[in-house]
Amino acid sequence: MAEAGDAPLDKPVQVKLVLLGEAAVGKSSVVMRFVQNDFSENKEPTIGAAFLTQKCRLEDRVLRYEIWDTAGQERFHSLAPMYYRNAQAAVVVYDITKASSLEKAKSWVKELQRQANPNIVIALVGNKLDLVQSTGAGAAAPAGDEGEEEEPDDATATPGEGAEQAEEGEQSLRQVPKEEAAAYAQEAGLLFAETSAKTGEGVVEVFTEIAKKIPIEHILASVRGGPAGGRAGAGQGRGQPGNVNLQEGAPTGGKACNC
Amino acid sequence: MTTISAQFRNYREPTKDEAIREFFNAPPAGPGDIPPTGKDVLEISAVMSLKGEEQSYSGRLYLMPPFLTFVSLDKRSARFTLPLYTIRRVEKVNSRAGMFELALVLWHQMKINVQLTSLRPTADAFCAQLRDALKAQLPQMKRLRPFVRVSYSEHLIKEDGEEYMDGDEDGKDGQDEIDTDDIKEAKTEFLGGLGLTFKFPGDPKKLREKSKLKLWKEYLRTHGRNVTLVRYPSVQRLIQVGLPNKLRGDLWETLSGSIYLRFANPGVYNQILEQHAGETSTSTEDIEKDLNRSLPEYRAYQSEIGIATLRRVLTAYSWKNREVGYCQAMNILVAAILIYMSEEQAFWLLEVLCNRLLPGYYSPSMHGTLLDQKVFESLVSRCLPIISEHFHEVDVQLSVASLPWFLSLYINSMPMIFAFRIVDCFFAMGPKVLFQVGLAILKINGEKLLEIQDDGGFIHLMRDYFNTLGDSAHPHASDPRMRAITNFQELLVVAFREFSVITDDTIISERKRHRQEIVTGIESFSKRAAVRNLKDPGQFKKEQLGAIYDTLYKAICDVSASGSGANAIAQLETIDAQGRAETRIDLKTYRIFLSNVATWARDETVVSNAFVNRVDRTVAEHELIDRMFLFWDPTHRGALSFQDIVTGLNGVMFNDLMSNIEWFFTVHDRDKDGFLSRDDVLQLSESLLFIFRNEIGDAYLGAVSNFMANAFEYGDALQPATNGNAQLAEGEKPPEPPTNTPYLNLATFRMVVLADELLESFFDTDFSATFKLEMAPGPESPSETPGLMAGLGGLLSGFITDENKKTLNRFADELGKSIGRHQVTYRPAIGKVDRDMALQEPKVREPLVSPQMRNRSMSSGSLTSGTSTSSLPTPSSELNTPGFLPPQLPIFPALPERTPFAIDEVKDDEDDEDDEDDLVVTAGDETLDEVDAFLQENAE
Repeated sequence: MAEAGDAPLDKPVQVKLVLLGEAAVGKSSVVMRFVQNDFSENKEPTIGAAFLTQKCRLEDRVLRYEIWDTAGQERFHSLAPMYYRNAQAAVVVYDITKASSLEKAKSWVKELQRQANPNIVIALVGNKLDLVQSTGAGAAAPAGDEGEEEEPDDATATPGEGAEQAEEGEQSLRQVPKEEAAAYAQEAGLLFAETSAKTGEGVVEVFTEIAKKIPIEHILASVRGGPAGGRAGAGQGRGQPGNVNLQEGAPTGGKACNC
Repeated sequence: MTTISAQFRNYREPTKDEAIREFFNAPPAGPGDIPPTGKDVLEISAVMSLKGEEQSYSGRLYLMPPFLTFVSLDKRSARFTLPLYTIRRVEKVNSRAGMFELALVLWHQMKINVQLTSLRPTADAFCAQLRDALKAQLPQMKRLRPFVRVSYSEHLIKEDGEEYMDGDEDGKDGQDEIDTDDIKEAKTEFLGGLGLTFKFPGDPKKLREKSKLKLWKEYLRTHGRNVTLVRYPSVQRLIQVGLPNKLRGDLWETLSGSIYLRFANPGVYNQILEQHAGETSTSTEDIEKDLNRSLPEYRAYQSEIGIATLRRVLTAYSWKNREVGYCQAMNILVAAILIYMSEEQAFWLLEVLCNRLLPGYYSPSMHGTLLDQKVFESLVSRCLPIISEHFHEVDVQLSVASLPWFLSLYINSMPMIFAFRIVDCFFAMGPKVLFQVGLAILKINGEKLLEIQDDGGFIHLMRDYFNTLGDSAHPHASDPRMRAITNFQELLVVAFREFSVITDDTIISERKRHRQEIVTGIESFSKRAAVRNLKDPGQFKKEQLGAIYDTLYKAICDVSASGSGANAIAQLETIDAQGRAETRIDLKTYRIFLSNVATWARDETVVSNAFVNRVDRTVAEHELIDRMFLFWDPTHRGALSFQDIVTGLNGVMFNDLMSNIEWFFTVHDRDKDGFLSRDDVLQLSESLLFIFRNEIGDAYLGAVSNFMANAFEYGDALQPATNGNAQLAEGEKPPEPPTNTPYLNLATFRMVVLADELLESFFDTDFSATFKLEMAPGPESPSETPGLMAGLGGLLSGFITDENKKTLNRFADELGKSIGRHQVTYRPAIGKVDRDMALQEPKVREPLVSPQMRNRSMSSGSLTSGTSTSSLPTPSSELNTPGFLPPQLPIFPALPERTPFAIDEVKDDEDDEDDEDDLVVTAGDETLDEVDAFLQENAE
């Protein structure tokens, strides 16, 4: 469905990505939205970690995300190193309506920065944006979302407009101010975005932003141990995500951090 | 945010008796099970035969109340675990030529003969014990009829309208007579799972339900059922072709032995539910999150009925086993079990799973899971070395795929109908099945596995394989019978044929081999996480925090090893602000902890005899320690977390003179009103004496009595400022204020302390220096380096050999005493033996003490550094009971001339201090006025 059908002849670059975060912040939902453009309430729980893949086109390069969606329950924490080892990217998810989940996210970030691959690209993602947006704040359904499964009462903001506007309609459910999380992300050198897995807002952008930041040539070199296809320069500049995202110039979430 | 468990440290291998009980799926012996004179397990050689079966088996017969068990010599062919309350009659068959044979008649009318082949006296002893044990179980027999009546296996046997024979026709025991009403009733209901209402997964025709049921019916009729099942070789085959859905729950319960628990604990499941109705916990919250994600494809779990059933079982178990609580994957397991079993049956099966079959799998550290992954890895490298090497080469971790296999008994990985067949074998043959199947999966996919390059490829391959389990294993074979063999059948054949070498003993010894590695890994992981997750590390460095953690961990291990056991640990698990489990320690553990951190919180005796010089350490107990415990517990939970302890230590280890004085003051200010009461002052003096109790010489004793005299003098002098000055001016004895009214504020306290050089020095540096963090041997490093392992291993081995050391020490002491060379001396807490105090210039507040005073103090300082003669006026012996000191009585002649001097200085100091820091803020204007008034009065 969302696969890059007409991929270039190049073999896609594999990027190992791990999702971490407290239980029930919506890690699996974020992945489901990205991989299947779907949001379903009932899912199999993740035992250890679920494994999914999704391709993502960036300019003339195709990335193949290998996503490890880890279990959120605290006692599975000790298993996490098994999944984040060798990962080139990590998405650390928290729930913007639950302050403690950001604390947990911070501790994940700390752990990743100390224990994981030193070049790992980390994105901090505040999920459940839909819960703090008032009805009708943004009328337009996100283009490119073919499966229109959103409940009618859920506000849908256009991903391209970013959360600045969305914040106007926020209600008291929000426990983590966007500025606070963004400031932390900036300080810790993380990508940052707020998303709604339910409406799809901001989800794909997270993965495109990560794709831009991943040192692709480095990966190619290390994987193939030889000439890296000579396409230097790719992976920089404007994002042109493949058909996973039809928004033009969409990503704004990543702007929060441009380190 | 940190949980610390001493469980691994205190792990011990099961005893031989316990292992035998485990083998027979018998629950651990309860207090009433073992006759006072008898042994736990009695063993005898025997030949067993069942009426109706031709084959008899020689093996071992065990009496382990309340069970009589048997296993054939090959440990496979025949076995039974018979609760004694199912044995209706035991007769001694004519014993000819030394033959000793017992004929047992069981509840289900089977007749079993056991020929005891041991020597006559052994056999006689066995029979005597058996008789006693049978008698003891007699009362239980009454409960048997209603219990078995509702089993599906009973229902199955009577289905054809056959006479239900559950009684002893002879009516030998009155209580056993058949009650016809019971039988009628029994026909109307039996225990079963959600499958009865929502249909069982799979196509009954394809699964050949009918013929399987028929075979089982025949078997159960002649070999006993539910509580009395006798396993003959044919049962193995019946299990391996898959249990019939309707009978599955019944047989799972019987084969796993959970039925004995259900029998032994009638009504407990419902009691737990009632008792905790409406209560919530982290576990119940976690359960709620997963209820909708447990086998959602099965119809029952799309309805509230199924969800509620699942919720009740998981919640009840989380209350029953608080240490495990709830772990993701248990929901999958229970959801699966509940298709075939009633709630209560599932509850007890879950108990067996968590405690015996999958030990430590779901515990907060998941150490059992990690351990078995390690074991599996090692078995793979042993049995499938080529695959193992390839995995190594491409850096693929086996666990990424195999972890869920084990955690969810393959239910989450394979289509349900296949997974349940593995579960059938698992309950019948134990944990080795999981390993055998896992190895078979890898072996079958061997060629493809050698092509994978990363974790992802591995997962994909496995997923594809599991999706084709129902397909033909040999689709191109010409023989239709070959074509009919499915991948799943092939899997089982490979698992049980080619990996039959993997036995229970293999698993046990492999677990033993790798346990230490896992423990080390988990411990260093949780240590790192604990240190990393501290909200406020204070001024400590990472290594120091690690040392604090180690000390704390050691204290927890000590306490839990000393017998209070699992209950004590469970109590200490609380929930932190973020709703996460957090280990907290109680006062008892705190004392041990502190004794390893602060020199005065322990009594150290240096024992020297002819053989050894060693230091014995015992934990001290004192009100001061209790008060510190309260002081470090700002949230009043009655228990301290790692963070509390770090903050507490941080508040005392880096203090300067002024903050130490304030710290001491606050610890003793019980009502936190900014004043010490008279009681508090006495207590504080006692605390000081406690800290100084092992110091050499009398200088500290003098200092404390000095302190008391001054404290009470000023305290009383200040008192009239509020009560009326007149009385004191007239030279009368001031009225004793009530002992608990505000008495001494911080400023005055400080003044009194600083009046004594020794105390000043104590508060300046010595007190903070009594806190010493002992670094664990081996460097703390973020990765699992050998150094770290060695360090922790060293700790552990130290722990293990503790007992030996004690014995050795006792021996040496006795010898030493006998030759008169046994010496015991207390080691001082401050003991400035190696610090030449005489050379040390007082660092602060020089003008406070007159030159004369300083000389005196310095000489007292040198006194503590070893010499035992005192040039000071020796303090009177009643100083040991400071409570009886007359408050105003000057002990030393020098005292009166010191007092005004000191006060002058204090006044100046306080002006200074306002600039320096805000310590003095607590002293209000009123207090200063009081001091002024006092000064004026006493001005010479």
